[in-house]
Amino acid sequence: MAASILERRDLKAPTDWVAYAFIALFTVPFLIFNVAPILFTAYLSFMRWGIFGPPRYVGTANFRDAIENDHVRIAFGNILLYGLTIVPGVLVLGLLAALYVHNRWPLSSFARVCFFSPYVVSATVIGLVWVWLLDTRFGLINHYLAYLGFDYIPWLTSTTWALYGVSIASIWWDMGLAFVLILAALQDIPGDLYDAVEVDGATRWQRFWYVTLPMLRPVLSMVLTLQLISTLRIFSQVYVMTSGGPASASTSVLYEIYTVAIRNQKFGLAAAVSIMLFAVILVVTLLSRRLLREQQT
Amino acid sequence: MTKSKFTRRGLMRTAGTLALASAFPMPFVRTASAATEIIHWSPLAASDGEIWAQMIQNFNDAHKDKGVSIKMEVVNWDDYTTKVLAAAAAGAAPDFGWNTDPRPAFVRDGLLVPLNELVKNSGLDIADFSEFSISKSKFPNYGGDELFQVPLDLMSLVPEVNTAHVSEAGLKIDEWPDDGATLIDWAKAMTKLEGDKVVRSGIMMTGAGVQPTVTWGIVAEQMGFQRISPDFKQVAVNPDAGKAAMQWVLDLFDKHKVSTRDVTDRYKAFGTGQGSIFWTGPWTLNGYLEQKLPFVSKPFPKIGEKRVTYFERGALELYTQKDPSRHQATMDAVKWLSDNSFLWCTKGRGASPRKSIIDRPDYKTAGAPWDVRGAFVEGIEYATAIADFPIINGADFNIYSGGNFLAKTLELVWAGQSSIDDAMTKLQEGWQKALEEG
Repeated sequence: MAASILERRDLKAPTDWVAYAFIALFTVPFLIFNVAPILFTAYLSFMRWGIFGPPRYVGTANFRDAIENDHVRIAFGNILLYGLTIVPGVLVLGLLAALYVHNRWPLSSFARVCFFSPYVVSATVIGLVWVWLLDTRFGLINHYLAYLGFDYIPWLTSTTWALYGVSIASIWWDMGLAFVLILAALQDIPGDLYDAVEVDGATRWQRFWYVTLPMLRPVLSMVLTLQLISTLRIFSQVYVMTSGGPASASTSVLYEIYTVAIRNQKFGLAAAVSIMLFAVILVVTLLSRRLLREQQT
Repeated sequence: MTKSKFTRRGLMRTAGTLALASAFPMPFVRTASAATEIIHWSPLAASDGEIWAQMIQNFNDAHKDKGVSIKMEVVNWDDYTTKVLAAAAAGAAPDFGWNTDPRPAFVRDGLLVPLNELVKNSGLDIADFSEFSISKSKFPNYGGDELFQVPLDLMSLVPEVNTAHVSEAGLKIDEWPDDGATLIDWAKAMTKLEGDKVVRSGIMMTGAGVQPTVTWGIVAEQMGFQRISPDFKQVAVNPDAGKAAMQWVLDLFDKHKVSTRDVTDRYKAFGTGQGSIFWTGPWTLNGYLEQKLPFVSKPFPKIGEKRVTYFERGALELYTQKDPSRHQATMDAVKWLSDNSFLWCTKGRGASPRKSIIDRPDYKTAGAPWDVRGAFVEGIEYATAIADFPIINGADFNIYSGGNFLAKTLELVWAGQSSIDDAMTKLQEGWQKALEEG
């Protein structure tokens, strides 16, 4: 028996090209559209290149220019601010929305559609709608705030407010995914646990704090990581709503990369900023994963 | 009779072949033996775009049975240059494009087709063009005496004035201000305030972007500032004048309170009566006329020592093709468009660079009414603040931009995040660096 197995191993099996073909369906596009651009970006970050003609080696000049560039510096600061605004906003509101639907509070079926539907609309449409909603003079938001006695807030035209104006639209848009993921996790929590704490006389708050939240921790951790990465790469809303302005107050790193590369044809500088953004996302993601893992253990 | 065998391997082979065939479509054959389709890219998307589309349609109608047609593709203005570069690098550049920028880098890299010989063969009468427009279409440093662009329209930036607001303020449009101080008086009279907040701008501005940048550019040149010296050796000549112009723009918002930073879309805001005086280009005319906005255009006031306004020249340029035989066919089409640009220069955009068109008796009566169009045409006489310069990094100097080095430096001043002195120092350093590339 053992000998026959050995004999079979010795036989040279014909190459199964079909298997390779199946793998290639994923691998080839992945190499072409993911790996190759990343390698090319790394290469370009040491070059001066404007698409036409050969790139020229400039050493680390692009990185130096990026660090000295006021707008790039502001953009990196802004994405951290976006992270501090949008990520908690999405997490908290996504959780509240999921609890609302999960507990079958009034109109929960309708609410389920309302909470999720923004996510299926493109970011461009969301941006255009929110530009109108947040208009200083004619926007609905300021219109209703005026009833409450607030003065007009220049949501998208002041350096103080623009980042928050974009953040509001982003939270509204991104909340849908968080809502669905958290809702699915809520529905997976075994009912026995609630029965047990109820027998122990737990209040509604204690049930949430000691059962629901710990059981949701893995999905909250995932949502946090996904949202963090997504926020650090924020672009469409910025492009549509404020073009990064005024005075770069709402700009993001991706928007700066777009401006430098596509509008100004400085692809080397744009590549250097991309590499820097990659490093920031990597560090932030690793840190957040590590912190959350420590909390869980 | 043999029975065909349906195997997994056979299925995969067929699927693979089909997938490859669909992934790599047949190369686009651009030279048809019978008919020539000339590919044209245009960034024109405002109300002038409709007139340009009509021009292309007119060409196609006139050449229905002649085996040549133009296929126009509208390309976003912001991406236009990058897309042309990418297409050229891939060997698939359009045959010709409409553009306002000088293109020394394109000439240096061989992207633009030199036109002298083609112009001669096509019969286009270069002597009919104004010398100024032709001089702006040559790049002696990189292309000698060759012509690289065919001027199509000349454009100045002048104030459009809402006449309903003028009447409401008790002013007379015939007494339109000629100097900066009176302009501010007019703006104050037409501005509406709620408390200390401007809710209707006497002078239409935005808090950042093109409008404050181009305003600064015009006023700075009026006050004697030069972005670059005539010999292209020095940048930011007379910086004090540039600083004074920055202060003039800031004062519109903060001292005179005739403008607000709260406007995001200046075109829409003026069209909906949120502004009274709006300096802009003739591409807005069709849109405002269609929506029956009560307005006229007026000369740009003399705010500084001399009257100056922004100048822009629209031109057609040919991109190098793999098959050079396409160049002459394209040039012939460009000649037709230039010869028949009366519609374009009376209804679409700007003044004509061609003497034969300007001399036509109906030049002032055709197209948009003269009271809305006239100031744009007459403004050419003093429109000397050109957009950017024929140097490799000319775009960094462009005063009609919302996202270039200049605009980004200035927007920190408009937002109060940079001092005027710091901004001028940054402009001097940045422009000097840009100039060094040639």
